[in-house]
Amino acid sequence: MHGWAGRVLDVNLTTGEIKKLPLDMGLAKMFLGGRGLNAITLYRELKANTDPLSPANVLLFGVGPLNGTLSPGSGRYNVTSKSPLTGGFGDANCGGYWGAELKFAGYDQIIIRGKADSPVYLWIDDDDVEIRDASHLWGKATDETDRLIKEELGDPRIHINYIGPAGERLVKVANVMSDLYRAAGRTGMGCVMGSKNLKAIAVRGTRGVKVAHPDALQEHVYESYQTLYSDWFARLFSQQGSACLVEIYNENLGALTFRNNQETFKEPRKMGNISGKAFAEKYLLKHRGCFSCPLHCASFFRFVDPRFGDTYWGKAEFATLTNFSTRVGVDSADFSLYMCMLADKWGIDIISLGGIIAFALECYEKGIISQRDTGGLELTWGNEAAIEKLAEDIAFRKSELGNLLAEGVRRASQQIGRGADRYALHTKGLEHLEVDPRGLQAWGLGFAVSTRGADHLRALPVFEYTITPEKAKAYFGTEKAADRFSVEGKGKMVKWFEELRAFADSLEICKYITRTGLLEPEPALKILNSVTGLSLQEEDAFRIGERIVNVERSFNAREGFTRKDDTLPQRFLEEPVPTGPAKGQVNKLEEMLDQYYETRGWDNNGVPEPGKLKELGLDFIARDMEKI
Amino acid sequence: MAAYKVLFLNPELCTGCRTCEMVCSLDKEGECNPAKSRIKVLTLLKDGIDIPAFCQHCEYAPCLDVCPINAVKRNRETGAVEINSEVCIGCRACMLVCPYGALRLDLNRRVMVKCDLCGGDPKCARFCITKALTYERQDVLETKKQYNSYSRFIDPLVKARKAREEVKYVD
Repeated sequence: MHGWAGRVLDVNLTTGEIKKLPLDMGLAKMFLGGRGLNAITLYRELKANTDPLSPANVLLFGVGPLNGTLSPGSGRYNVTSKSPLTGGFGDANCGGYWGAELKFAGYDQIIIRGKADSPVYLWIDDDDVEIRDASHLWGKATDETDRLIKEELGDPRIHINYIGPAGERLVKVANVMSDLYRAAGRTGMGCVMGSKNLKAIAVRGTRGVKVAHPDALQEHVYESYQTLYSDWFARLFSQQGSACLVEIYNENLGALTFRNNQETFKEPRKMGNISGKAFAEKYLLKHRGCFSCPLHCASFFRFVDPRFGDTYWGKAEFATLTNFSTRVGVDSADFSLYMCMLADKWGIDIISLGGIIAFALECYEKGIISQRDTGGLELTWGNEAAIEKLAEDIAFRKSELGNLLAEGVRRASQQIGRGADRYALHTKGLEHLEVDPRGLQAWGLGFAVSTRGADHLRALPVFEYTITPEKAKAYFGTEKAADRFSVEGKGKMVKWFEELRAFADSLEICKYITRTGLLEPEPALKILNSVTGLSLQEEDAFRIGERIVNVERSFNAREGFTRKDDTLPQRFLEEPVPTGPAKGQVNKLEEMLDQYYETRGWDNNGVPEPGKLKELGLDFIARDMEKI
Repeated sequence: MAAYKVLFLNPELCTGCRTCEMVCSLDKEGECNPAKSRIKVLTLLKDGIDIPAFCQHCEYAPCLDVCPINAVKRNRETGAVEINSEVCIGCRACMLVCPYGALRLDLNRRVMVKCDLCGGDPKCARFCITKALTYERQDVLETKKQYNSYSRFIDPLVKARKAREEVKYVD
């Protein structure tokens, strides 16, 4: 077999039974792998209304046919489960080396079932798979866990993913970390892992990946490097990492979060060290890359600040720079970078954590919570000491407020009441990231309809502000689609992007690689066909993407999600942007929703029509949807 | 011998992406497998250090001297130190003496394998996007190395000259 490893590892933590099953190649051709294969597996494995934190929930780790090959950006893997944060479809995607290593060990997917009696970790050494005691690792930070397992297994070159103290304490926004710095961040996958008493999965693989056409693969990958670097954005990205997005979202688009999205723009000269340029000049020590990646945007940084001492860490992203600075009213890049390092060690999603803290600060500002509720913490914008203390309280469920906020902004705002929900910026229970969708209509639609809740990566419709009107007309039927303030053509645009993103996520190649130069499926298809020996065409890629989105959407529909869940926080729909390049804008979501559902072949409640599902070869899901 | 080319490393430019391992195993074995690559990136995640380990094709190669059955030979055209797998008995003597740990036992064929510079077009250097690995003339490499080493003197000289020009303007 070429590309795929051809095996699925099925581990039942309740019984200790470990099975190696053949990969269903019919499914693999319909869903490729990674996100897609995980989605259909989750749909089949779970019944509606399964408690996400019960042993009945399954936790899936998936890689695709390109992982562990020369293909650019092919080090990623997908973690999928029913989300304890949203109650719907949950998944998170992660870079580093772990995904490739799993493939080298000879598996396309791991299915974790049940719950271990006491803390354990899984050790996958090619064909030898073992459930080992992890009681000595329980409570350890992620970096410490990495070191201890490598010492214990005696090989510095194995790759491990793990949860931190947040996942162990079932913090709803806990993540799964791997290779020290990489996070499967969103939708609380670390919380599910913690609920199964599973601390880590260590992998060593020597089986390799068979390639159908080695010479063609070399040729197409080499071509793809040239295409990638023909684009200015990729060159900027390779120099500054995703930190370069600070300037783009703030200066160009007026879409950066300030103080829980009260504002979306700040004069560049007042940004201090919070910018891609400043980061590259003052913090960046060395460019590092994930597995087989020519873009190397993982920035190893270092700084010395009297407050935090000598700080160095291997990942600084746009999210790292902004979540604990602009979002919470802090002016210091040092503080944000330091906090994100702590969050990584605790195993908690920085985007959700930033969102939760911004929510708490605004509630404090508006008098909804007071020092009585905060245990004496003065939660004013920019109060670094209080923010750090609150973050720790959330990650370790320490104080009463920390324990409440560890449930995410949706549940916390419901508990607090008194109009707090107005400041809880989430969709389907998942906290928004630090990009404001008021001046980016398609982004707003993408956030609202995303199958895992407020998420930018499901659609990432960058064409909204990067293409010419002529190209917009050719692709989406209207020149207005190239206007980010216009709603015209945005339904089509979001669908087109969602399909492409699902396709790339299922190959498990990186979004940043496929952000611009390699966006359209042709280069990826050439590489995929060289690896697997298949001859897939462009329409196949779109069809596979569409199928995946429909499965995920059907999963949510089965859980009772409807049109009312495809929404945005009131702030984005009603409060016009006060200043900056997006001044006066709100997101006109309702106007785009019908357009989008119709393009998708879904009913006006956002549920896939049985006819559409049958057309995609999903007859058994069509039968389920008929019952809704 | 002025045109003598060597495969050389600048570890500060290595991103740890391991593309070299992928293209090496793909080119030599037709599959992507770090366990079959002739080059292997050593990564210290905590310190952000990445160093590809590979054969330096030493001018006085201990592996060549130590091989009990003369399976190791130097390729006169490329300068590469190569192992004849038809003859190799897998005794690991070369592995024992190699200062770089650049030799591996092929677990299927049970013979030692190593870098052969791809016959004068090393794929690892070709695919190394940051040019951490380069295949260049030895004398040019020396020159570049010298420029780098002397940059600590060159940069202040350039700055000092600019400063002098600025002083002139004040006059």
